[in-house]
Amino acid sequence: MSNITAYKCKSCGLIMYPYHDRCLNCKKREFEEIEPSNNGKLLTFTIIEQLPWGMDERGRILGVVEFDNGVKALGLIDVEQPKLEMKLKRGWGTVREIGGVKVKGLIFEKA
Amino acid sequence: MRPVFVAGAGMIPFERQDENTLGDILAGAGLAALDDVDLGKHEVGAVYLGNMASGLFNHQVSVASALVDRLALIPAAAERIENGPASGGSAVKNGVLAVASGYYDVVLVVGGEKMRDVIGPKATDIVAAMTHPHAEYIYGLTLPAMAGMFTRLYMEKYGVTREHLAMVAIKNQENGITNPYAHIQMKITMEGILEHPQSHINSPIIADPLHLYDCCPVSDGGAAVVLVSEEIAKTLKKPMVQIAGFGQATDTHTLAEREDPTELKAVRLAAVQAFSRAGLKPKDIDVAELHDAFTILEIAESEQAGFFKMGEGAKAVERGDTRIGGKLPINPSGGLKARGHPVGATGVAQIVDLVWQLRGEAGENQVEGAKNGFSLNFGGFGNNVLAFVLRRIS
Ligand SMILES: [Zn+2]
Repeated sequence: MSNITAYKCKSCGLIMYPYHDRCLNCKKREFEEIEPSNNGKLLTFTIIEQLPWGMDERGRILGVVEFDNGVKALGLIDVEQPKLEMKLKRGWGTVREIGGVKVKGLIFEKA
Repeated sequence: MRPVFVAGAGMIPFERQDENTLGDILAGAGLAALDDVDLGKHEVGAVYLGNMASGLFNHQVSVASALVDRLALIPAAAERIENGPASGGSAVKNGVLAVASGYYDVVLVVGGEKMRDVIGPKATDIVAAMTHPHAEYIYGLTLPAMAGMFTRLYMEKYGVTREHLAMVAIKNQENGITNPYAHIQMKITMEGILEHPQSHINSPIIADPLHLYDCCPVSDGGAAVVLVSEEIAKTLKKPMVQIAGFGQATDTHTLAEREDPTELKAVRLAAVQAFSRAGLKPKDIDVAELHDAFTILEIAESEQAGFFKMGEGAKAVERGDTRIGGKLPINPSGGLKARGHPVGATGVAQIVDLVWQLRGEAGENQVEGAKNGFSLNFGGFGNNVLAFVLRRIS
């Protein structure tokens, strides 16, 4: 797996990420699994100077990206000077080590 | 439904309590509320304890059972209520329902947390455990980081500036100086936290654009109230303060899934419900305690709860409307910013501070003639919110 899985409601078309057991809009339960498109834009971001225990790092940038196909997700923003509405392309890699296990997730770079 | 009154209210100082265990904090708060009222022959029927994470912070569970044991309230019913940083508000709500339903006549609600048993980054991680496990937590998202992303959008959309945020911090810390229960009792200035070329040393970035003085401290502390039926309240000597209404609403777990991420939908809905139950309007409120875990939240909540139009909250702060003596004093206690935020205690402490205001017992921080009060307890990052309207019956 090198991407997240998002869900499109088969009844009303709402796109959701992460998974919900019932559609947030119509409460139906059948979804089509979809992948976010390759590119998107940066909706908001923050630069974190104080990370949780176990993350020995400063200046990590996290942001919410809206992909071209409508999926919205948080990810690591690997860009020197992020700006709102900036075009980004998605990548995949280790975002955190939890209990000695490397956990992978979305890493965005300049499109 | 029966009307519900606050008969007793008490708190222990919010601070770093190295000498006290969680049990000491909860018992201390409970006794403070019990000592504030002479219940005569009436017994406490049930105890609701607001606490977010005793298992993680203190390696202790079933803390409500331990509390009734320490307070000699056996065989009263007892349970811990967990709803993140709104655990205190949720405990109050459950206490209100218990008395309103007629099932109990006297209920003790305690809220408390001992967060400083663990080091700072560990506390940050425990609090971050309320984020979505694989859509948020794995990226190192913290609550200040969520607030940072929210703040950036809010500033952009409504023209809120860092000066506005600093004004909230300065006002609340000023209020904290004269609140003997406040964790932070220190005057700060615009120069010291924002304007001086070296102010970044005093107030470094936590999660850009939020700096240290935009964030509440990590505190230990507890607060408690005794709730009673009208029949009992009428026999007591103190002014009658009614919990006239509450509201509670939820929103999406992740910030990313909100249609408009600057809208705090659960705040709006909770406030509307609370006002509607109480039969009052935002303009009727004389004093408000809002959940300023981050300075931006005081501004955003003051708008979404209906006190100011969208985009006007920052201007109200600028005009001094929200200071003690202003049109609508917000956080005369110092708020989370100065009183502190032992997560499970906050929602109860807000009610205690309002009761003191409505009884005229708030000392130097008294809002003259306050009759109606409002509190807002913000859980998660706005995904589970409680609002309360309190009224003095004269
Ligand atoms: Zn649907």
